Amino acid sequence: MPLPAKAFQRWLHGIAPDTSIADVCRLSGVKRTTLAQQLVRGKVAEATVVSISRAFGVNPVSSLAYFDTYRDLAGPQVPPTPQELVSQISTVDLLRAVIARSTPTAEAAAESPAGAATAAGRSPAPEQPAPAQPAPPEQPVPAREQQALSPVPHATSVKNWVDAIDDGELRHRVSAATGIAPQNYSAQLTANRMAPEVAIATSRAAGVGLTGGLVATGLVTEAEAGWNPGARQSALDMLSEGDLTALAGDRLQALGKILRRQEHDHQQTEKIWENLG
Amino acid sequence: MIEILQWSTLIVCGAAALSRIPNLVRRKNRSMFYVLALMTLATLLSIKGPYLVIDGLLGGTNLANLLLRFIIFGAIYFLGIRIANGFGDERGMRLIRGHAGSVFLALISAALLVLFAMMDTEGSSAGMATVSIKDERNGMLVEYYGAAGRAYPAYVCLVLLPAMLRAVRSTLPALLRISALLLAIGGLAVALSVLFPVVPPAIGFVEFVINYTAILCFVVGLALIWVAKVRAGRGARDRVERPAARR
Repeated sequence: MPLPAKAFQRWLHGIAPDTSIADVCRLSGVKRTTLAQQLVRGKVAEATVVSISRAFGVNPVSSLAYFDTYRDLAGPQVPPTPQELVSQISTVDLLRAVIARSTPTAEAAAESPAGAATAAGRSPAPEQPAPAQPAPPEQPVPAREQQALSPVPHATSVKNWVDAIDDGELRHRVSAATGIAPQNYSAQLTANRMAPEVAIATSRAAGVGLTGGLVATGLVTEAEAGWNPGARQSALDMLSEGDLTALAGDRLQALGKILRRQEHDHQQTEKIWENLG
Repeated sequence: MIEILQWSTLIVCGAAALSRIPNLVRRKNRSMFYVLALMTLATLLSIKGPYLVIDGLLGGTNLANLLLRFIIFGAIYFLGIRIANGFGDERGMRLIRGHAGSVFLALISAALLVLFAMMDTEGSSAGMATVSIKDERNGMLVEYYGAAGRAYPAYVCLVLLPAMLRAVRSTLPALLRISALLLAIGGLAVALSVLFPVVPPAIGFVEFVINYTAILCFVVGLALIWVAKVRAGRGARDRVERPAARR
């Protein structure tokens, strides 16, 4: 349920007492018509509060904590579990980590591309002309640690997050707690969407820190949620080779399924149009 | 009330058919135009006023009613094939175009012709109402004749129903799923029309409602598919229509 307009007005007065609505909108990038409509309906979206908080240099999570629904966000939060952190790493980054770990050694790769080729047991002669062209972009990124992880959220972050904290009964508990039908909940996950309050309810039902879902849905950033900057990377580094490979495999399989379904739907759609359009 | 339903159905059908004229000229998906034109004609023939005029031209022996039945068969046959093709329903395709479908269509057509010949069809009237009240024999023949006329469309619609319901539950674009739902409702309505002989006369209006619901659902469903295609934009459209143009 979005935030009540009255409480929102009070909150806004608290952080920007002398600013007109027009200025608030201009500074925060929230469309004036959008905010006006939300105020008229008496329900202000969480995303609006987050945008305005950012514009006024206030932490969005503590802003949300001002509202009754999100009261529990106040104060120090339980840090995310390693599984949650890894779930917020995109599939491509996981695959990159798999490749980086299976490349001979970081030092050998760092020395020179030719050295890496020799270490891999290939004859250096045919390899030499190849690094000449792609070398410039590759040399500044010698080791795997250098490649920064892409920011949260990624394309399947919501579903991966729930999978990471699911003990098998989580969906039932969430649906009991929120009254959302399990199939609607699943549909939200598939669409990589989740209402903020459902995200909180999910965290609560799983017994993990409350900000995980807000990060996974992209409402707030890792830093705003108080996650350590390198937390995801170190959770990734802590994964054993077997776990990492199995996880990447699972992700690839899920991705393959999604892509196949999209392709199938696309073909089906075109066929319908071709025949009936 | 029923008059309004009839005429609005006619207008919707006619508008849908007219909207395909550009495609007809460009020789794209022409059979969709013919299906909609046949449906428009069928609607026209099922309305009292136009029926009397047309049947008058044909000699006033209710020949127009026989014509109406075959127009419906033609429209439903081509539409069924198009839908089965579009929704990738191979089983439905086999059941419509294959042996079973052809034999069924031939039997029903023969039955229609024989029953029509056996009746005293003098005296134009929509739905052959005046023929059926002539005497008991004619009344029964009209009943059988009507049942035969509804049997083939019901067959085709039942064949297509599973594929439609599958499409409704699928992950296709929303507009297409709504179309599939409308086609499924239309199909169900046509299938229900087989039960008309057991409908008590007191609620006879239900028959009209079911008939026109069926046609409206089909036409609106098809129109939505067309709208979805147009809305999908030029890029996708060109890709889609080039192969279609060869048909």
